[in-house]
Amino acid sequence: MKVALALCCAGWLAASGPVRAEEAKPEAKPVKLTTTADHGKFKQLQKTFDSGPEVTKACLECHTEAAGQIHRTKHWKWEFLNPETKQTLGKKTVINNFCISIASNYASCTSCHVGYGWKDANFDFAKQENVDCLACHDTTGNYKKPPGFAGNPVTKDTEFPPGSGKIIKGIDLAKIAQKVGKSSRDTCGACHFNGGGGDGVKHGDMDSSLAAPTKDIDVHMDAEGLDFTCGTCHKTSSHDVAGSRYTPTAKDDKGVQVRGKAGSGNPATCVACHDNAPHKKEPRLNHHATKIACQTCHIPTYARGGIATKMTWDWSTAGKRDADGKHIVKKDAKGRITYESRKGDFTLAENVKPEYAWFNGNVQYTLLTDKIEKTEQRTQINKMGGSPSDGKSMIWPMKVFRGSQPYDPVNKSLITPHTAGNDDTGFWKNLDWDKAIPVGMQDSGAPYSGKFDFIKTEMSWPITHMVAPKDKALGCVECHARDGRLTGIQGVYLPARDNNRLVDTAGWAIVFLTLLGVIGHGTLRIVTARKH
Amino acid sequence: MKLIKTLAAGAILSVVAASASAYDADWKRGRVYYRSVCTSCHAVQPIGTINPSSKTKAEWAAYLKADKHAKGKDTVKQYVSKAYRASIKSGNKAAEKFADTPDQELLDDVAAFLTKGAKDGDSPASCN
Amino acid sequence: MSERIYVFKRFERFWHWSQAALIIFLMLTAFDIHGTYTIFGFEKAVAYHTTAAWTLIGLWVFAIFWHFTTGEWKQYIPTTEKVVAMMKYYLVGIFKHAPHPFRLTTLRKHNPLQRLAYLFILVCVGPLLWITGGLYLFYDKWAAWGLGGLSLEWVATGHTIGAFMMLAFLIAHVYLTTAGHTPTAHIKAMITGWEEVD
Repeated sequence: MKVALALCCAGWLAASGPVRAEEAKPEAKPVKLTTTADHGKFKQLQKTFDSGPEVTKACLECHTEAAGQIHRTKHWKWEFLNPETKQTLGKKTVINNFCISIASNYASCTSCHVGYGWKDANFDFAKQENVDCLACHDTTGNYKKPPGFAGNPVTKDTEFPPGSGKIIKGIDLAKIAQKVGKSSRDTCGACHFNGGGGDGVKHGDMDSSLAAPTKDIDVHMDAEGLDFTCGTCHKTSSHDVAGSRYTPTAKDDKGVQVRGKAGSGNPATCVACHDNAPHKKEPRLNHHATKIACQTCHIPTYARGGIATKMTWDWSTAGKRDADGKHIVKKDAKGRITYESRKGDFTLAENVKPEYAWFNGNVQYTLLTDKIEKTEQRTQINKMGGSPSDGKSMIWPMKVFRGSQPYDPVNKSLITPHTAGNDDTGFWKNLDWDKAIPVGMQDSGAPYSGKFDFIKTEMSWPITHMVAPKDKALGCVECHARDGRLTGIQGVYLPARDNNRLVDTAGWAIVFLTLLGVIGHGTLRIVTARKH
Repeated sequence: MKLIKTLAAGAILSVVAASASAYDADWKRGRVYYRSVCTSCHAVQPIGTINPSSKTKAEWAAYLKADKHAKGKDTVKQYVSKAYRASIKSGNKAAEKFADTPDQELLDDVAAFLTKGAKDGDSPASCN
Repeated sequence: MSERIYVFKRFERFWHWSQAALIIFLMLTAFDIHGTYTIFGFEKAVAYHTTAAWTLIGLWVFAIFWHFTTGEWKQYIPTTEKVVAMMKYYLVGIFKHAPHPFRLTTLRKHNPLQRLAYLFILVCVGPLLWITGGLYLFYDKWAAWGLGGLSLEWVATGHTIGAFMMLAFLIAHVYLTTAGHTPTAHIKAMITGWEEVD
């Protein structure tokens, strides 16, 4: 009552003159307005947790259906059936030209699985407590799942690898569990920034600079501005995250996704918010946008956050040892690794101009069961469908990652070597392909002839993150030029890049002859004038 | 000796925490402020950038407790204050974004980020 | 004995020179857009070219109005009379200081070859440039206008052909201004309006 009276007085005083206005202004509230539940107050979480599954059991006491939802997702299954190509994909199956494959390397790779204990091919995908809630819902930034522990966090200080003298500090799961919240750039980034085995290695448009980026790095995620999280675009539904690298939306002509709109488009596209005709001042650009993906102009370069991305990886040079028989590591002037005995030669780059290609969203992977030939042309790990005339393609920016990796020249297939692992056959420990390949191929259930060679491969990664502010978007001349960015792109007439050779030759010939005629005529007039 | 130092640091930090009753420091906001305000200036000053991981938790706590910026020429608190933010907000987006955040909260946020990002913190952090 | 006649009226002279300036500027920006050289750069060249084109259209609206209200349009009616004589003069007579076969009056201020050349520009080169240029400018509207089948490549190529013809004309035209009574007679006439005739 007294408070109400005081407030009334304050209001009256404030209304009575500008001098009082400052006093009546309410103080900014210290409480967090992002959640209605303080998990620190839950009895279930006020205890010591020795393992991840124990935390999950506590979560499931209230969030009874959460594990079931996770069980249906790609993040859990690492398996995806492409409805168009009928290929079975997912991290469990696909091969890339980075660390190649997870088969026989589970304990290391599954540190990025949203689960606990996937250490071999016999992982129990039906167990609810195997779901890792904290990987996505940690807000402290302290939750870590080191490689080698099959997706388990380390709760007590542990020497790893055993006998190495290196100690991994144990983390307090209760502290982390009591602070759970929404997913963030930090949680998604814990895995997605580090794809390919390190910060920025794989994607080029995703690295730790996006954890708290400036506006120049990403106009939407700008930590001082719009501050989008990944989930702002990748809108989750029942724990299933929108957006896909296996079935990307290359062309979205469905317009803005307003509430109540029928249909289930991809909410993560640019168009889902910006619509198909977002250029109000320059309508001509909207026409560009019928053939050119937004990303092409609005992501001028990738790896812009000061973190280099890997551009090439040559496995064929791996395995060298120094005079003492030890592993070699070479670094460039900036301290970035360019050679490792375990992995071979790398090149890295920052601020990279993408390559461009017509892309219709159709991606065909080269899997272990596919036959490949060693030719002059690189084997495409993922063939990106697209053409100027199929009506479904747009010109997209791509990171094209090129490498050389082991293959079986007799069976004509790619190879899934056993790399990670503290055992005698792991290549990263013993540098012996003859031991590493049979183990890996057996785990994949694929035949191996006993012979291996290296084959040149390339893999394309459509660029879609690190959207620049509009004043940093590409200018016309980047493409409208003789040697512009779209030099190799067929099927469009690009003023300044293209011309009709015949018309240009004939045209300049006529102009030149006219000039010649005029000069000749004039000279003759001058000469004859003198005679008279 | 080290134990005493750590205990002292813990005590200082808890004092800092207690002064803003029940405020739950937001290390992420601290991260943005530290990188966008502190670092943006330090990057061009002769002293250069200072990584959170360049000091231990105890050293950071002691630094904040002493409240001596530029070897005592001015205070640390001043650079987190509303008045300072108001003075630079036309050219600094972080200062503008957090213009109305109470001084103590923002100081706690920065402290939380430094503690977390310290050499012996939970995730040693760099400037950017 | 020479006399002076008033050939080009004030508006006509204004029209001529502003049109000349605009066409030269359009040429300059055109080959920048075409990728032949870089002066303004593609983006600015397109903007300038577009603005200059609209200005020229505006100028033409006035010019057409003027030509019809004053009856001056008749100056462009082609004639075959003395065409051969004119050609002979340019090929032979001019070097021998033969008399000009055409006598300029206010009612016939263009010689027969001029008439043919201007008519050609007016009915062939002009429309080619205006139509392809207009389409070029509104290429994002083609589908809405039911012209979805058009190819930008053909439109652009047509526009380029027009540009080359205009450039060739410009060169010949500038040269022939010196082929008057005295080398500067025509140019003076276009500036002052008065031309000296024999």
